[in-house]
Amino acid sequence: MYKNDSVLPFFGLLLAVAFWMMAYYDGLHLAALAGHPLEELSGGQFGLITFGALFFIYGVMGYVSYWLEGDELRPGRHESPNSFWAGVTIATLVIILVALSGLLVQTVIYWANTGPVSYGFAGRLTGYILLDMAAILMIYKKYFVAEVVIAEDEHSEVPW
Amino acid sequence: MYRWFDERLNLTRFNKKFLNKAFAVHHSYFIGEIALFAFVTLVITGIFLTFNYEPSIRMVKVAGKSLPAAYASVLYIDSLPFGAVLRSVHHWSASIMIAAAFIHLLRILISGAYKRPREINWFVGLLLLLLTILTAFTGYSLPFDAFSATATGIGYGIGTSIPYIGEWVSQVIFGGEFPTVHSIPRVYSLHVLWFPLLLMATLGLHMLVMVKQKHTQPTYAKKVAPGRILGVPLMPQQAYMSTILFLLYLAVVFFIGGTWIAHPIQVYGPPTASTPLVKPDWYLIWVYGILQIIPGDLKIPLPFGAVMNSEFIGSVLIPGILGLVAILLPFLDTRRTKMRYMELPTRHPVRTAVTFALLAFLVTTTLAGWKGELGLSAGQLWAIIIGSSLLTYLVVYYAIILIWGRPPKEDLDAA
Repeated sequence: MYKNDSVLPFFGLLLAVAFWMMAYYDGLHLAALAGHPLEELSGGQFGLITFGALFFIYGVMGYVSYWLEGDELRPGRHESPNSFWAGVTIATLVIILVALSGLLVQTVIYWANTGPVSYGFAGRLTGYILLDMAAILMIYKKYFVAEVVIAEDEHSEVPW
Repeated sequence: MYRWFDERLNLTRFNKKFLNKAFAVHHSYFIGEIALFAFVTLVITGIFLTFNYEPSIRMVKVAGKSLPAAYASVLYIDSLPFGAVLRSVHHWSASIMIAAAFIHLLRILISGAYKRPREINWFVGLLLLLLTILTAFTGYSLPFDAFSATATGIGYGIGTSIPYIGEWVSQVIFGGEFPTVHSIPRVYSLHVLWFPLLLMATLGLHMLVMVKQKHTQPTYAKKVAPGRILGVPLMPQQAYMSTILFLLYLAVVFFIGGTWIAHPIQVYGPPTASTPLVKPDWYLIWVYGILQIIPGDLKIPLPFGAVMNSEFIGSVLIPGILGLVAILLPFLDTRRTKMRYMELPTRHPVRTAVTFALLAFLVTTTLAGWKGELGLSAGQLWAIIIGSSLLTYLVVYYAIILIWGRPPKEDLDAA
């Protein structure tokens, strides 16, 4: 709560791993009781994976914010570092994005005309595309966008 | 084109006023943002689902089998390209939104952000959590499979147990004794129209009040820009950050949604006469747990022939008391000065310990939902619930005092 550090996001990731491990062991226990792997998640597993996902997202976002915005803001305009290699990385990620998007379109066409593809593949492919887009924006913001920090008057007229 | 609009709408003034609004930066604010991202995802995926879902329990023939239309239409959604993945993302997002709203509430609680002048937004936030749970619950019944129909039946029972107005409430929500032909259309209307509209309005109010009152800030801002709002402008900094975070959120949810298809209805099958033993979704198991450990035959007579039964006490009264305490909190824990900065949890050991004790209570009452599987009696579970809540309070309180010492007098003065 003191500053935008990476301590709580680290514990967020740690909690995510703990929740997912609990869900995994819960699944093993239920499968042992039933005598076979179950086709669906139990209510408990669903809750554990949900909290695991929430804390994972929070942890990742916390680290991203720490990397992009730092742990403390200082008023003023801070110019971006403009790195050549950051530009190369963005270009590479854009090429990967185009390739993945092409694969996504092919997947939809195959699914509509031939038959279903694995749900896991479809979900992860979409996930990779979104992750790639996030990475492009992150690098662009870090290396090519000047950081502006303002100290607004507490009694500003926004929104009234 | 911009000039054309600007001449008519004075957009430059609008931009100057709103796009330069300062957004305070701290990772703990992202939990609220995650709830917002989940809501946006729910609306977008929900639109896709409404295009293909049929809110009816009339029987239809599918591959020689007679199935309820609602159930058959969800099977149809699952057969569409990416249909099952989008339905799964919708279900996971609903679950994550509830979890995020709850953890966001705990963050507000633990940092004292409900205090003057933010009491109104605390109440609006509590309403948002309630609406989120109600929206998720109504959505749960829509596939009309054996699992969801049974779980919704439990909700119907809880609704009818409310003294004086229970029958009326259940009639309004379920259109008669669940499941009737009117039940699914009614619940569908609530799920896709009325609750989302209420959620949007409440969410809008929540944001508006937050923007007006300004966000609480991390404590270091007191030194850097005292009395001012230290942050990044909405455009472009905050807009970049929010887009990046939303993409990250979506990426994780698609990974999870694709890997584990939520609520695979073909596994459960359509509703049958032989009701399977089901528990409610995880966010209501703590209520189910309380129902498991209070005597099932409680009947407290009320005036005019009404009765307060176990179902009402366990699932409405006890959660209602917790809700009432939450509503009264800003009046019980007050401060003399305007609150500008987040309070450090280590400087407020009692409040922090109570928050952790509340968590222990919710975790242990959730465990009580598995009373049969755990093989414990109601008395043993009560002992675990009360004992672990008290123990958590004491451990957290003394751990804070031992590690960080007693809070300085100025912190107590502010409170």
